Amino acid sequence: MGAPVTTGRAAPVRRRHRIRPARVVLGLVLLVVGVLMVAPLVWLIVQSLTAERAAFSLPPGWLPRPFTVDNFANIDGLIPFGRMALNSLQVSLISTVGSMLVSVLAGYAFSRLRFRGRQAILLVMLSALMVPVQTTVIPVFVLMRNLGLVDHLAALWLPALINVFAIFFFRQYFNTIPRELDEAARIDGASHPWILFRIIVPLSGPALAAMTILAFEASWNNYFGPLIFLSSPQHMTLPIGLVTLQAGQGGSSVVVFAAITAVVVPVMVVFLAFQRSFAASIASAGIRG
Amino acid sequence: MTISLTRRRTAPRPPAIQPTAGAGSRQWVGYAFLCPALLLFVLFVAGPFVAAIVLSLYRWDMLTPAQFAGVGNFTAMFGDPLLYRSLANTFVFALASLVTHLVGGLLLALGVNRLKNKVLSYFVRTSLFFPFVISWAAVALLWKYVLDPSFGLVTYYLGRLGLDTPNWFNDPSWALPSIIGIDFWHTIGFTFVIMLAGLQTVPNTLLEAARLDGANAWQTLWHVTIPMMSPTIFFAAVITFLGAFQIFDPIQIITPQGGPDNSTMSVVMYLYQKGFQSFQVGYASAVSLLVFAVMMVVTLLQFWGSRRWVHQ
Repeated sequence: MGAPVTTGRAAPVRRRHRIRPARVVLGLVLLVVGVLMVAPLVWLIVQSLTAERAAFSLPPGWLPRPFTVDNFANIDGLIPFGRMALNSLQVSLISTVGSMLVSVLAGYAFSRLRFRGRQAILLVMLSALMVPVQTTVIPVFVLMRNLGLVDHLAALWLPALINVFAIFFFRQYFNTIPRELDEAARIDGASHPWILFRIIVPLSGPALAAMTILAFEASWNNYFGPLIFLSSPQHMTLPIGLVTLQAGQGGSSVVVFAAITAVVVPVMVVFLAFQRSFAASIASAGIRG
Repeated sequence: MTISLTRRRTAPRPPAIQPTAGAGSRQWVGYAFLCPALLLFVLFVAGPFVAAIVLSLYRWDMLTPAQFAGVGNFTAMFGDPLLYRSLANTFVFALASLVTHLVGGLLLALGVNRLKNKVLSYFVRTSLFFPFVISWAAVALLWKYVLDPSFGLVTYYLGRLGLDTPNWFNDPSWALPSIIGIDFWHTIGFTFVIMLAGLQTVPNTLLEAARLDGANAWQTLWHVTIPMMSPTIFFAAVITFLGAFQIFDPIQIITPQGGPDNSTMSVVMYLYQKGFQSFQVGYASAVSLLVFAVMMVVTLLQFWGSRRWVHQ
């Protein structure tokens, strides 16, 4: 399901000259839409690179004049930005890698192994997809408080290790891999872990990429969890850190903009690098499922 | 998340696969592979869900011992004007989000699909999707400034067009529409990508046949493309509604008190305030079950509806 997202269908050539004016209008309209979509982001980045006295001027400045990077240097005086970035990275990496491992194992069990209650367990897990996180968050908070994990990063990544959608997605994907492959390996005496990690997983690249991207993005951008579980700045992740910075006293608007830019630009760069897989993962999770 | 479980399950399995089933002696292997997921599921999903039901029957502030309240929390919900307000806001938000995303996403996908200029097409696709990869926290903070009444971009340019702009987030009749607009900016890329992918599933032969039969562009769109895309549109509708119904991040960040005259108070925002600010844990749990009930109804409608209406 990946490639089609980015390829346009070729229009018939014979009609080309007839539709041309409409096509130009269409192109112009879409160009305007595109410009309007990115304008706030351009404005954000430009202001963050503008000296404080000149920022947020009217009419809006679209070039950073006078240019400065001081705004970025000033972030650390207000929030421990580096610490927060590391926290974000730590939570996202642990929850993504962990949940992928857990989900691949479970997906294999549901796809390839026979045991009592298999369908029942799968059905119960799938119906839990209807349970919103808001319903479970209060009991999970009480649980974390009893475990002494409130205001610890573990309170964020531990519950993220269970990813029912990924389990189901992997099960569906594994079902499309011919069973003759693992049967052959079984006859040669291969164990189940060997079959999973040497045959099934290497053949599941697209599914794995899609789920990894979605899981990482969900964790990296999570705001609700950190808002509820974290309270001290040195334990915070970036999204909650940004909001704290903006709400706090003493942070001027340009510094807030610098912090937002510092959070947003790396994500935009990563997105540009992996744009195809990103769009494909959304589309496949949506269309295939 | 259209779930094709039943279809897959009923497919007969060739007997050659049976060996993994063993004679029942190797059952432990399955449980071994499943055990981390099962343990986490019980601990963080199933257990808390049951606990939420139990908590909804109590009055508890997380500090003093809980008191059994029976269905008291649920009856209290019926007489809670703020809950009604938040439900109304949430439905308005979700429906507005549904309509704008489906129409906008479909139109944009149709338009981009027709673009022949590769550079322009890349630019439009990228710029539409950019906001979606950014966290709500960054988006909400950015838009607080973009819509600022004194130096915001929107204020300035609309002013140049001769339009009077309201004080967006402080005006009871504009606060919720503002958030609807920001949500559109943030998530339209998601709907767009889904629609664009759905558009590729429309067989070229059908479009060609329609053209040979003399159908114009509008007829082709209405009688071929949209019916063929109905599974995609239906999926996008459900996922957009469910996401919108749980709207929380931008509301909490931009209007931490629920907006002027509670005009942006959403159900999840209300539940957050009750549970984590005024510590009425039992009542918040009851409200959270209401959110669950709505989501369950919509999901079951999806199951039922996709069989009835959607072209397969």
